[in-house]
Amino acid sequence: MAEVSYVGASRVFAGSPPVRAVDQLDLDVADGEFLVLVGPSGSGKSTALRMLAGLEDVDEGTIQIGSKDVTNVPPKGRDIAMVFQSYALYPHMTVAENMGFALKLRGTPKTQIKEKVAEAAAMLDLTKYLDRKPKALSGGQRQRVAMGRAIVREPSVFLMDEPLSNLDAKLRVETRANIAALQQRLGTTTIYVTHDQVEAMTMGHRVAVLKDGILQQCDTPRALYDKPANAFVAGFIGSPAMNLKTVPLAPEGARLDGIVVPLERTALSAAQSAGLSSVTFGVRPESLRLASVEEEGIDMTVELVEELGADALVHGAVKIGDGSERFVVRVDGRTPPQLGQNVKIAVRDASEVHLFHPETGERLTD
Amino acid sequence: MTTTLDRPPVNTPGAGEREKKTARLRASRIALHTFLIAVCLVWLAPLLWTVFASLRTYEDTAANGYFSLPSELTLSNFGKAWETADLPNYFWNTLVITIPAVIVTLLFSSFVAFGVTRFSFRFNLALLMLFTAGNLLPQQVIITPLYRLFRLIPVPEWINYKETLLDTQLGLILIHIAFQIGFCTFVLSNYMKTIPNELTEAARVDGAGVLRQYWQVILPLCRPALGALATLEFTWIYNDFFWAIVLIQTGDKMPITSALSNLRGQFFTDYNLLAAGSLLVAIPCLVVFFALQRQFVGGLTLGSTKG
Repeated sequence: MAEVSYVGASRVFAGSPPVRAVDQLDLDVADGEFLVLVGPSGSGKSTALRMLAGLEDVDEGTIQIGSKDVTNVPPKGRDIAMVFQSYALYPHMTVAENMGFALKLRGTPKTQIKEKVAEAAAMLDLTKYLDRKPKALSGGQRQRVAMGRAIVREPSVFLMDEPLSNLDAKLRVETRANIAALQQRLGTTTIYVTHDQVEAMTMGHRVAVLKDGILQQCDTPRALYDKPANAFVAGFIGSPAMNLKTVPLAPEGARLDGIVVPLERTALSAAQSAGLSSVTFGVRPESLRLASVEEEGIDMTVELVEELGADALVHGAVKIGDGSERFVVRVDGRTPPQLGQNVKIAVRDASEVHLFHPETGERLTD
Repeated sequence: MTTTLDRPPVNTPGAGEREKKTARLRASRIALHTFLIAVCLVWLAPLLWTVFASLRTYEDTAANGYFSLPSELTLSNFGKAWETADLPNYFWNTLVITIPAVIVTLLFSSFVAFGVTRFSFRFNLALLMLFTAGNLLPQQVIITPLYRLFRLIPVPEWINYKETLLDTQLGLILIHIAFQIGFCTFVLSNYMKTIPNELTEAARVDGAGVLRQYWQVILPLCRPALGALATLEFTWIYNDFFWAIVLIQTGDKMPITSALSNLRGQFFTDYNLLAAGSLLVAIPCLVVFFALQRQFVGGLTLGSTKG
């Protein structure tokens, strides 16, 4: 068990211009924490993980595991175990040999290896398959062997690089819960990379969002959802994505389709003191509701209704300035509006509106 | 081939049309099989002819010619060839040359292939090209300088009492290794490129050093390529006559290929005997092929990654 910290760690790939795959990453992971690195592809999340594993050089800054600086330590000296996206099982070894390989290299006595492999296999429900070769296993079983290979070593840090992306949707949800429970039980510091924000939100104690190699925000899933630090995080976290539109400012609020949506005083004054005439206005689909005819609301033409059972997502066009923008509203599943119908929508509460700087994307609300 | 021919018609045409189609299929199938049989026969003819000749006596073919029905068939030529040509001794010589040469060639070329494919360094492509280009040198061109070089290289007396590399089996082994390494490196490096990089990365994280990655992860996965190469190399080195005849001068150090020429008289050659000798000499290659055939299995890396 150990804490992990990245201190100004960068990875620069040669080229013209050089690509800063991970740029000045500062991140502290507490002992026993489950931290998820999330971001779109090319955001540097896998590179950041590989830097910690020692598979990728650290060009600037340092990386520490425990209190030890491991920046220039080869992978085998770092006491880490990694689960690869492709699992990378040794095809010529049996499941038991795969799981015990690291221990064998370390010179652990055979009886002890056998014991530990059996223990991990029991934990992962692999006991029956110990003598099989990986090619005789299903995708889910292979994934568990890859997990087992990591567990057997009792490392101080687990590194997981999109370990679920090759599983089918149902198995993924199941395995997701299993991994989270396993981590809870073992209490091993875990860094988990995914591009799937649902995985990130459900599994991580904290989630670090990366974009273009730069850390955008690192916080608990709740905080990321409620107070995204910038427009990118706001749009990336949450499904369906937040409605993010640039709208002109009025003295009391934001101007949408001729009406003024009231904003919180602090946010408004922050925007006004920055001298902005327009802001990026963000509101989650569930923070919008259908308004009754008498109420003041924003006119929207329904273009698409996605029924999810418990609720429905209504996509529609709203006039902003001269153009029209698409909004998504989460409504009660039993009474969704019809396609092509004109409805009125309203913000549930002014406190649920997020305001961002239109150029920098920084959060204006607090 | 036949599977495509057996495929049922996709749209069901009228009965007459269907008949026409089956007729066409049958005709094309007959043509195909005729062609295949013809090729097989042309391919096998020299071998079968050798077997046939080896089973006849010299007197028989001398009287009736080779294109005739035999008066009797006998295995006596084989026994005679075995003794006359002193085959056991030469078989041993060949093994002493071939087996170390094949093993060392595969070992060295797999080292090079591992180095150039699993690590990225400045000159790895250049190095691979160098090894591959070495293949292109024609042996006949460099034989003279090599001959002179071999004469100048000293070896301890217990290897060769003349104390030169020339006229030693060691020299022959070295020249085979040098000449075959290029091809083997080329094949092995291409094979190793197909092994996913994650496997070596996983091994590194598991704590394997470079040698272990090579020996315990990469090499076992190269088994099909190594098996195929071992067979090819064995056959090539075994069949070598050129290097042996130039670089070895003492008769009893010669490999088996030269022993065959012992069956040839100066004024007269018993071709039936020679045929029997040739067949005997060919046997080890077949043995090696069948022994290593099990290794030519595809899909060895199957299962390392996603389902």
